[in-house]
Amino acid sequence: MLEVKNLMVFFENALALNDFSMTVNEGEIVGVIGSNSAGKTTLMNTISGLIIDMKIKEKRKGGERITIYGEILFQGEDITETQPFDRVKKGLVLSRERHPVFPESDVAENLRIAGHQVKKLALSERMEYVYALFPALSDLKRRKAGFLSGGEQQMLAIGMALILKPALLLLDEPLLGLSPMMQTMLVDAVKNLRKESGITILITEQFARPILPFIERGYVIENGMLALSGTGEELMDNPEVKSAYFGI
Amino acid sequence: MLANTFVYGFVNSIILVLVALGFNLTFGISGVANFAYGALYILGALLSWVFFNTIGLPYLLSVLCAVVLTAVAGELMYRFVLLRIRGMVLSEVIATFGIGLATLELFKYLGFIGFEYSLPVFVDTSIEIGQVVVDMQRVFIVIIGIAMAGFLWFFTHHTRTGLRFRGIAQEERTALSLGINSDRVAMLSVSFGAAYAAIAAIVILPLGTINVEQGYSVLIKALAVCIVGGLGSTGGLVLASFLIGYGQTITVTYLESHWVMLVPLIAILGILIFRPSGLFGEQKELEERI
Ligand SMILES: Nc1ncnc2c1ncn2[C@@H]1O[C@H](COP(=O)(O)OP(=O)(O)OP(=O)(O)O)[C@@H](O)[C@H]1O
Ligand SMILES: [Mg+2]
Repeated sequence: MLEVKNLMVFFENALALNDFSMTVNEGEIVGVIGSNSAGKTTLMNTISGLIIDMKIKEKRKGGERITIYGEILFQGEDITETQPFDRVKKGLVLSRERHPVFPESDVAENLRIAGHQVKKLALSERMEYVYALFPALSDLKRRKAGFLSGGEQQMLAIGMALILKPALLLLDEPLLGLSPMMQTMLVDAVKNLRKESGITILITEQFARPILPFIERGYVIENGMLALSGTGEELMDNPEVKSAYFGI
Repeated sequence: MLANTFVYGFVNSIILVLVALGFNLTFGISGVANFAYGALYILGALLSWVFFNTIGLPYLLSVLCAVVLTAVAGELMYRFVLLRIRGMVLSEVIATFGIGLATLELFKYLGFIGFEYSLPVFVDTSIEIGQVVVDMQRVFIVIIGIAMAGFLWFFTHHTRTGLRFRGIAQEERTALSLGINSDRVAMLSVSFGAAYAAIAAIVILPLGTINVEQGYSVLIKALAVCIVGGLGSTGGLVLASFLIGYGQTITVTYLESHWVMLVPLIAILGILIFRPSGLFGEQKELEERI
């Protein structure tokens, strides 16, 4: 479904992704594990196309700091140069790192903004689906998103991506900064989501422990390079992964 | 006297609401401070004058054409100038102010000066409210002002494009990752703001003549209302309009009329000293929490 081929991303002269390749097959949950500044967010931004927008906007202002080499194929189609909003139409949706939601809007309005291109009837159905998936949100419909806790904002951010019914959902560090209990809740929700809708998910994390049990395959990224890859079980048994990513 | 102050202060306040809505809309959505706003206001008025008097279209059609063309002018300004500099506030201010200045001076050069350049009132009668006599145009100003503010609220909360506006206004990258085209939305917000400027001019200017100089004072009024209200906040805009509007009317009635110009400036100074984020600093409230 998704194929990333020899991706290289430069910010000025700094190499954030170095010859990185990976694939995601239909129906899979795939993890990308890496420590701080390994290049996870850069990878997600490149797959979702946000980086194209950053690049275009910098170019207009006269600078060209971002350079991208390599290829991204989504359902067989080359989308390397496609704008982020066009990728969304093709079914590729990112839930961004640190859950930046719309703070002045309440929870329901955040979901409605996310569903700006969804028909009215389908929208209310999908909103109900999100509330069922995250029951904590359904009590907070009228609360401004800026006043939600980090965990609640994270659920909302994922819910907003789900409103668009993505074929491939990208989750950038969805567990970041959440308590173990919140993490369990979110992981359960993701598992449910998969079971019920058969969605394909690509998820990044710093730590392997919470996600290894439910991903089919994983990639370990270090300094922008692919260090290791394998099935969830293979990675779980790997001593290097154990020592580096099973921290705390 | 008191009843007079009340009624005319009210009308004056709604005039300020009308004048500031478009500026506030553009700024609130795309962050673009459109200093060509006053020029767009005059452009709207002159276009409808030309369509009506020179070309001889029916008045309603003239107004429609003028509003649409002013919106197109806003769109072109975005496409060819603002697109490249959006996000660099100083460049935006300099570029739009330059465009505004050039446009207004061009109008003067073309000779749009004099009493013949005036727009017709909608209906030439007056009514009595309490014991105060008010002409129908002022009644229309109040009705249309309230309707335009209400429409804006409805539009941004209950239409698809409006929801996109709200998304881009709050978190551009998140909006992008949800499939909203930020450049398109920003362009629409500039062009919507321009249309609002044209409508405001067509409703307000029948009270006097189309004086090109008003392009400058309209910009100052819009700025004053938006800064006092808290940039981008609609509730703040209304409150600030009433503060400044009544301030002006009371100044005219009880002090001296040539001090009127000072009221918006004093309001700006006061707010910058005591509450720099404006009356409705909602955004600040959230920022401090995080
Ligand atoms: N906009 C940018 N401009 C310049 N350098 C950047 C930019 N974004 C990321 N980088 C650099 O690219 C590298 C990879 O960063 P990235 O954000 O992808 O890491 P990450 O794996 O997501 O880290 P974290 O776990 O902290 O989120 C870092 O060295 C970072 O400094
Ligand atoms: Mg990151």
